Amino acid sequence: MRSTMRAELRFTLNGAAVETMVRPQARLLDVLRDTLGATGTKEGCGEGECGACTVLVDGRAVASCLFPALEAEGKTVLTVEGLRNASGELSVVQRAFVDKGGTQCGFCTPGMVMATTALLQENPSPSDDEIRAGLVGNLCRCTGYVQIVDAVKQAAELAAKERP
Amino acid sequence: MTDAAYHRPATLDAALVLKAREPTARYVAGGTDLWVQARKRKAAPVPLISLQNIAELRGISVGDKGLRIGATTPLSDLLRHELVRAELPALAMALGTLASQQIRNVATVAGNLCNASPAADTAPPLLVHDASVELRGASGARTVSLASFLVGPGKTTLAPGELLAAIVVPRPAKGTKSAFLRQGRVAMDLSLASVAALVCIEDDRQAPVVRLAAGAVGPVPMRLPKAEAALAGRPLDAAALVAAAEVAADEVAPITDLRASAGYRRRLVRVLCERALRLAVGDKEIHHEVHHAG
Repeated sequence: MRSTMRAELRFTLNGAAVETMVRPQARLLDVLRDTLGATGTKEGCGEGECGACTVLVDGRAVASCLFPALEAEGKTVLTVEGLRNASGELSVVQRAFVDKGGTQCGFCTPGMVMATTALLQENPSPSDDEIRAGLVGNLCRCTGYVQIVDAVKQAAELAAKERP
Repeated sequence: MTDAAYHRPATLDAALVLKAREPTARYVAGGTDLWVQARKRKAAPVPLISLQNIAELRGISVGDKGLRIGATTPLSDLLRHELVRAELPALAMALGTLASQQIRNVATVAGNLCNASPAADTAPPLLVHDASVELRGASGARTVSLASFLVGPGKTTLAPGELLAAIVVPRPAKGTKSAFLRQGRVAMDLSLASVAALVCIEDDRQAPVVRLAAGAVGPVPMRLPKAEAALAGRPLDAAALVAAAEVAADEVAPITDLRASAGYRRRLVRVLCERALRLAVGDKEIHHEVHHAG
């Protein structure tokens, strides 16, 4: 039997109000990618282990593959597409990943960048151990993580400089 | 793909009514385990009753009975709570190493306990802190000890239609310290073994209280009464802690599975138990050892 169950969903995506119809048990990941075309968010394992699908819901990092779309109702969702500022510049975290070469194939990068954004909001100047603990839920199969950790440190330094 | 409903009732009573009307439905809090199980089973989806919209199930409060942790409180909220860090260090240690920030921001203690995994990391700390769980059903509310709530792998004493509304942890007596240690293959993996220890030394005239619990080494996370008894009436010196750790390694009932052999799990219990006890009695040297053992 093909179901026609649909539920209404309203939330804020990257600063813009979104209103759409979703399957009641749809994952936030599917709604972002398939319904709203925000394909910056990636699906890796689909089980909350790899972190490629990390987005921020009300400022907190979550695995969008384990997050029911309907739980985003009335909330604010930030994806990698929403990190640029109003004049289109990359965020400090994005710039640091570019500068330090904290990326190879790039598949894990949106998740890494979102998890780093959340990590630095909670802890603006993390130690190496705190960075590795903070990103334990983000797997990269290309790199050895050294340049990723360097990128996070650079992002923390940049953010400290740019803070008014 | 067929689909099933996803209900978001705003009150506990509405949730209980929905469950009575749709007995195949499942309650869901954070859902981080449920979604993974659902994908692996590839079974037809069941209706879900989300508890996230129910105000009385959310948040942490402190009352006469101690700390009350609402069912939908994310682990990260608990980890940030001042009282958890100050008075329930074993729980804080378990939360700090549990999965990742992405999971901790969504997953709940209630879900961890209701799944009743033998490896549930929040259970050993809550067992040594004498936690109980508040259950709510159509016929009313009841409170049971966590030790009696967990009955087997995936099995609890929840009656059909009942849900876990909150976890209640009594405020520990002055002079109480606790610790939790685990060993997994990698940080994100399930524990191969875990141990929580609690020691209360109220004053020099009274015998210290010692409580021990272990996870992933039996059908349920369990208290270790024999190892606790081995310390009764003894000064808590290095030799006594080693002896108790050996009793603990005998007392647990591990199995061999794809993650580790039963023998290796017993050895882990011995080492983790001694270290957790040393942390709980305030041995300063141990912090250095544990940190470098990774």
